[in-house]
Formats: sequence, C-alpha cells, structure tokens
Amino acid sequence: MRFRLSDRQVGVLFMLPLILAVGIFLVWPIAEAVRLSFVRYNPLRPDDQPFVGLDNYLFVLEDPLFWESFWQAIVWTGWSTVLQAVIGVGLALLLHQPLKGMNAFRGLLLFPYIVPTVVIALNWRWLFNSEIGIVNHLLLSVGLIDEKIAWLSTPSMAMASAIMLNVWKYTPFVVIVVLARLQTIPTELYDAAKVDGAGVLRRFRDITLPQLAEVLAVVIVFRTIWTFNKFEEIYLLTRGGPGTSTYNLALYAFDQSIANLRMGVGAAAGVIMLVLLLAGSMLYIRVSGFGREDKAA
Amino acid sequence: MRPWIAAILYAVLGAITFVVCFPLLWAISTSLKPKDEIFRWPPTIWPENVTFDAYRELLFGGSVASAPGAGVPPSAYFLTWFGNSIIVSIGSTIISITVATLAAYSLTRFRFWGQRSVPYIAILGYMVPSVIFVFPMFLTMVSLELTDTLFSLILGYVCITLPFCLWLMWAFFRGVPIEIEEAALVDGATRLQVFRQIVLPVALPGIIAASIFSLIVSWNDYLFGRVFMNSMENLPLTVGVMHFFDGTHVDWALMMASSVLMTLPMAILFGFMQRHLVAGFGAGAVKG
Repeated sequence: MRFRLSDRQVGVLFMLPLILAVGIFLVWPIAEAVRLSFVRYNPLRPDDQPFVGLDNYLFVLEDPLFWESFWQAIVWTGWSTVLQAVIGVGLALLLHQPLKGMNAFRGLLLFPYIVPTVVIALNWRWLFNSEIGIVNHLLLSVGLIDEKIAWLSTPSMAMASAIMLNVWKYTPFVVIVVLARLQTIPTELYDAAKVDGAGVLRRFRDITLPQLAEVLAVVIVFRTIWTFNKFEEIYLLTRGGPGTSTYNLALYAFDQSIANLRMGVGAAAGVIMLVLLLAGSMLYIRVSGFGREDKAA
Repeated sequence: MRPWIAAILYAVLGAITFVVCFPLLWAISTSLKPKDEIFRWPPTIWPENVTFDAYRELLFGGSVASAPGAGVPPSAYFLTWFGNSIIVSIGSTIISITVATLAAYSLTRFRFWGQRSVPYIAILGYMVPSVIFVFPMFLTMVSLELTDTLFSLILGYVCITLPFCLWLMWAFFRGVPIEIEEAALVDGATRLQVFRQIVLPVALPGIIAASIFSLIVSWNDYLFGRVFMNSMENLPLTVGVMHFFDGTHVDWALMMASSVLMTLPMAILFGFMQRHLVAGFGAGAVKG
C-alpha cells in the first residue's frame, strides 16, 4: 500500500524542520544568552550558577572599557557606513554605464565581498606593516609622508586601517544592491529630462537620487547594524589594540567571556547589543515598509 | 557615448579595479618570493627569483599522520584544516538549504497560523551577530560533550546560515507562478510528486544561489571555530592559519600562500555564480 499524505499534512510536515531549527538555533541561544546575563558563571563549576540579578549589567555599565568600546564602535560604524555608501553609489553609477567588457569589471569589483575575513586581515597586516609594508613604501616614494607610519600600533591609524579593511570588503554589498536598483529606473525618465535640457548633474540630482533614496536608506540601516556588531574584522586585524583603542562592543563581549571568563558579563554585553539591534531593526522596518502587504519582499 | 568619455571611464574603472585587486595581487607576489627577498627594503614589486617553496610546504610539507606529536609545524596541518573547512561548510549548507527550501515552499503555498511572523523571525536571525550566538551555543555543546567536533561546528554554522537561506528561498518561491503546480494537482498528481518533479527543478537557481552564499559564510567564519575547537587537527582553515602567527618570527610567504589557497575555492565558486550572486543580492539575501 502506498502511503499518501494529504495536502495539509505536507504543508505542516515541511514546516516542522524549520520550527525545530528556529527553536534550536535562534530562540534557544538567545534565551540562554539572556539567562546567562543574570547569573554568575564559573567555568570551573559550571553546574553552580547563582542568580545575581542585575549585577552583570551594572558591572558592564560601570566599566569604562564598555563605554570606550561603545564610542569607538560608533566612530568605526559611522566612518565605515558613510564611506561604503558614498563609494558604493559612485562605483555603481560607474558600473551602470553601457560600456563593453563591463561584466569583467563588475566581477572584479565585487570580488572582495567573498574573500575570507581572515585572508583580508592577514593581507592588511602585511600591506600596512610599518617596517617593510608596501603601503608605507608607496606613500614614501610618492612623497606623501616623510617617515614610515606605524599603522597598526598607533591608535588612530589602527582604527583607520580597520575602517579601510571594512570599506574594502563591504562596499561591494552597496554596489550590488544599488546597481540592481539602477537597472530598474525607467530610461524614459532620463530621455524626457534630456529633451527638457537637463544636464548630467541635474539628472543625477532630480532622477537618480530620488529613485535610489529608498534602497539606500535600507542599505544604510543594514550596514549600520552589521558594522556596529562586527567582530572578526577588528579582532583579526588589531585584537582591539593597540591597548584598547579599537575595541567595539563585540570585542568587549568576547573578551569578557573568553579572556576574563566572565560569561555572565559577556552575555549582559551581548544582550545590550541585542537591544540596540532591535531598535535598529525597528528603524529598518519603518524605513523599508517591510511587512506591508504591497511590498513585503 | 563619445569616445573620449568612454576612454576616461575605462581609465577610472581600470584604476579603481587595480586598487581593489591590489591586496590580493600583492599576496600572490609575496607568496612567490624567497625569504630573503621578502624582508628587502625597498620591496620588489614582482619577485626576482620566483619560488614555490611556500606552496610546497603547505601542500606537501608532510602530513600530520607521518609525524605525530609535538614539534609538528602548524603548516603540516594545512591540508587537514582545508578538509575540515570543506566538510563543515558543505554539512551546514545541506542542513540550512533543506530546512529553508521545505519551509519556504510551505510558507508560500499553504495558509496557517503564525505564517506572517516567519519572515520577521528570519530577518531578526539575519541581523543577530554571531558573537551573541556563539557562547550559549558553546555552553550547550559543552553539556552535550560535542565541543571540538566538526559536528558542533556544522550546527554552529546553521545559526548564521539558516536565516538568510530561508529569506532567499522564501523570496524565490514567491516569484514562482503557482499555475503549473495547480494544473498538475488537478491532473491527479500528489503534492509530493509536484514538489519533486515540478517545484524542485524550477527552484534550482534559487537553491544554487542560497547554497553559494551559505558556503561562503561558513567557509569564511572564524568566531565559531575559534570558540568551539581545541585540537590542532580539528580546526577549520580560518582558525588554523592564525596559528602561523604563533612563532617568534612571521613567515609572510607562508601566510600569503595560505591566503591565496584559502581564497581559491571561493574564487572558483564566485566565477560560477556571478549571475546568481546578483540575483541573490537583488532579493536582499546576503550576510555581511
């Protein structure tokens, strides 16, 4: 006898793995993180987890390093996002031009996005090596600087290197999204504007920018949220150093959990990040109109 | 377009492309230099004496099995790490894609309670950074005695790949017209037959795109491997190569050679997928 499933059973059956997976891989870790943030976790006695109320949160909020990390995260996020958006839109406009061989350029310019962060961090450490790095060599030989810059061991330069790494890797993300949107702007708009005698700049200001506004807002919110929470880019490049000058909240949470073995404190920092993130995603939902029936995708 | 404008655009594009590709070109150049040339100042742009020593050391430097115990240089583990990364990337991708495809189909073809909240959950999971997932997951792995196994890493990567796979497959199935399926159902085909014979072939481009994204994200991850794994022979590539920094002096040729080898599989995938990549980004499904 062949076993036949009704339509409805198939629908439910197909959803079961997802429900299970969301429970295990999303709800459970987040719930655990919240729980951990209210207990003291001693790795030597993992079974003994006394409830400590808001102690972990108070510890975090009174820790100068937390606030230092917070402000540095804002510097890191602000510069990275602005640079990515500006360069990204510029590149997308360039790649949108009807030129022969454009596909090759597109491919090469999108490539950084798929390069592993470890690889980029290693390359950056080598490129920006203060003694024998090529960047110092090039800057010296063009005459832009007079002596070698200690890129990764002076605080402001380490932050700048990290931001450059982030911009290098994630600008392609902006490019692809903007490029996809550019391709959907009706060419009639430009033709009509040309007939009316609008120059290149006017057409950009009055047609391209307004058409891009919505998608740009979404991209900027996304990039802001992701960049703010980035861990690997900074950790692998500078370990938060020199000193603590390139710490952000993700590094702070990691450091508390791993180096200081304060899982509870790390979890509290994580929950604070999560709250900030929820606020950010509210903004995203507002900006994109996500969930509205007509444009839910 | 006037020729001189095109010429300027080509020049600008060429210059930008060169700057963007420079770090990797420099890595290739460095990886081919003998040790004394690497430390020369001013640096040579292209190696005067090309050598493949670094690649030889990584690929044929003797396996761990032939020289077990302490004193084994980290580079001897390179191929093992490479294999580990392949296993965990493919493993987590299979899980995420299977779960996401089934659920996305169900979500777009059936009506049930709570349906509308699923995309919100996906987008939330999509934004939560790994650093929040990783420690609770680690403690769970500890209590299940799964730490330091490739299996734990596969499960960890499902955390970060599932949300956007679901998102992408969901967006994809929404765009697939339902009429053919209905016609087949009316003709007496069962739902499962329809799924296997009509839906899956049509969904293949979406599945390929989501798989490639998932493979990239798992292959590139560092954090989960760093927290979950201990033994040298179980590390994924990303965590492993950072051990090359442990010695007293840094072997930059070795470092850059492993960078090149590590990027290679992704570059090959990227070559195949460029079309799909743009389609996937267009649907908003990407992790960054």
